[in-house]
Amino acid sequence: MRAGLRKLHAILRRDLLTAARHRTGFAITAFGLLTELAAFYFLARAIGPGFRPGGVEYFPFLLVGTGVYTFFVMSTQAFLSTVQEAQQTGTMEVLMTTSTPPAQLVVLSSVSAFAGNMVKLLIYLLAGAVIFAAPFHANFLACLSVMILCTAIALAIGVAAATVQITFQKGSALLWLLSSGVWFLSGAMFPIESLPRPLIFVAHVIPLSYAVTGMRMALLQGESVIAMAPTLAVLAAFGAVLLPLALWGLSFSLRCARQDGTLSFY
Amino acid sequence: MDRVVFESVRKVFRHRPALFNWLGNERSGETVALKGLSFTAGAGEVLTLLGPNGSGKTTALKLISTMLLPDAGSVCVDGFDTQRDGGRVRGQVGIAIATERSFFPRLSARENLDFFAALDDVPRNECSSRIDEVLRDTGLAEQADTLVMKFSSGMYQRLGIARALVKHPAVLLLDEPTRSLDAATTAHFWTTIRELADRQTTILLATHNFAEAGAVGDRVLLLQKGDLLADRPIRRGESMEELRAFYFRMTGEVDEAAGMLQRAGRVS
Repeated sequence: MRAGLRKLHAILRRDLLTAARHRTGFAITAFGLLTELAAFYFLARAIGPGFRPGGVEYFPFLLVGTGVYTFFVMSTQAFLSTVQEAQQTGTMEVLMTTSTPPAQLVVLSSVSAFAGNMVKLLIYLLAGAVIFAAPFHANFLACLSVMILCTAIALAIGVAAATVQITFQKGSALLWLLSSGVWFLSGAMFPIESLPRPLIFVAHVIPLSYAVTGMRMALLQGESVIAMAPTLAVLAAFGAVLLPLALWGLSFSLRCARQDGTLSFY
Repeated sequence: MDRVVFESVRKVFRHRPALFNWLGNERSGETVALKGLSFTAGAGEVLTLLGPNGSGKTTALKLISTMLLPDAGSVCVDGFDTQRDGGRVRGQVGIAIATERSFFPRLSARENLDFFAALDDVPRNECSSRIDEVLRDTGLAEQADTLVMKFSSGMYQRLGIARALVKHPAVLLLDEPTRSLDAATTAHFWTTIRELADRQTTILLATHNFAEAGAVGDRVLLLQKGDLLADRPIRRGESMEELRAFYFRMTGEVDEAAGMLQRAGRVS
């Protein structure tokens, strides 16, 4: 446990130092975030106050939907970036010869990205509330529950993307396919009910749909954990199935890459 | 007791065409890198691996480090099999590979070593003194706090050696460790290697440098196309020319450099 925490500390320190020495990145991210918020605000104004999906105003609907979507996609992307960067800089093979088990290393390496994305999501929502006056009625326990389950699912899908990268060197293609499909079907931009019936069915087997819906209920309508139990149960079930499967896949793919000598291929 | 045991190790690299390669001309195939290689290395022994490009030297080192796994046969370090007990093997082995850009560019040399030391479970209270020690041994003490993105290739190589040493490995694997080093650093490095061997570290060193093999090696393994051509001790004071002649006699290659020097009247 103590050794694990020390490794986590070493990884967080590495990423913080690297980020701090890349100062322009902060400014560009902040500018991009504000521009996106402004675009959504004026889009909602253009559509007008009559459009209230799920009984909430359109701007906060968009704000929460795109915030959770971005957190989810960026977090899954973090795993892929971790593996791709290690392959491109040549650190992959060396990292795999340290005493840290490879699967633990990949998961720990993405923790700082998760933490960073969480902070970005908070800033995004706060900026939406403070600058553009988005009305929140949050139930914090429910919000936290949704975030934890959403993180577990993002972890599973991120690990799966890393596995595809190690096995076929095509992790970004898988992630692009998933993120563009999920963007359209998860209800981040508009209610799922607007889709044709067969696509509504597809939307209901995408875990992010439940995360987006759950976060809107918790953050905009102040629903309690008990009232949200069915949504949380679905998210927990997705996590319980996907996470062990993804971790097993990663260990298997790393073993195959060691066998084939393709650890550093990209 | 033998610390490293290679037993009938076979390693094949299979080339699989990329997915969706319908239009390309990429074909599958295989390269046999090692054909049933067997050897042992004891505690405190320095084994030099000589052989032409593609003879299997780096593959042998990568197999010990668990970067690669054998297709047949077994590789054991201190009795632990690399296939079954990879974690335990990795705890005992330090490797410095030839392609030394494997660092985090926006961290300093010290920060990089600190990071890898944590992943290698180096005790926290020893970390700082060990890092100072290996930076000194590799001549990087003055550049300890320089970002490695500003390093030259020789400095990268030194840092790679420092990283391999910081965990105080029982087995040290070095792939062409002095390829980009200047003469003074190389001489200092050879002394360090002998001191480590005196402290019972097993060292396997792949090189094309006969002077290096003669200066630090106890034994030489000569490989060619995945086969072991020779496994013999190196006599103390054995000259570079003797090793070179042995190499060309065994491999059947032509010593073009010696011929050119002879023709130019530089050697008799």
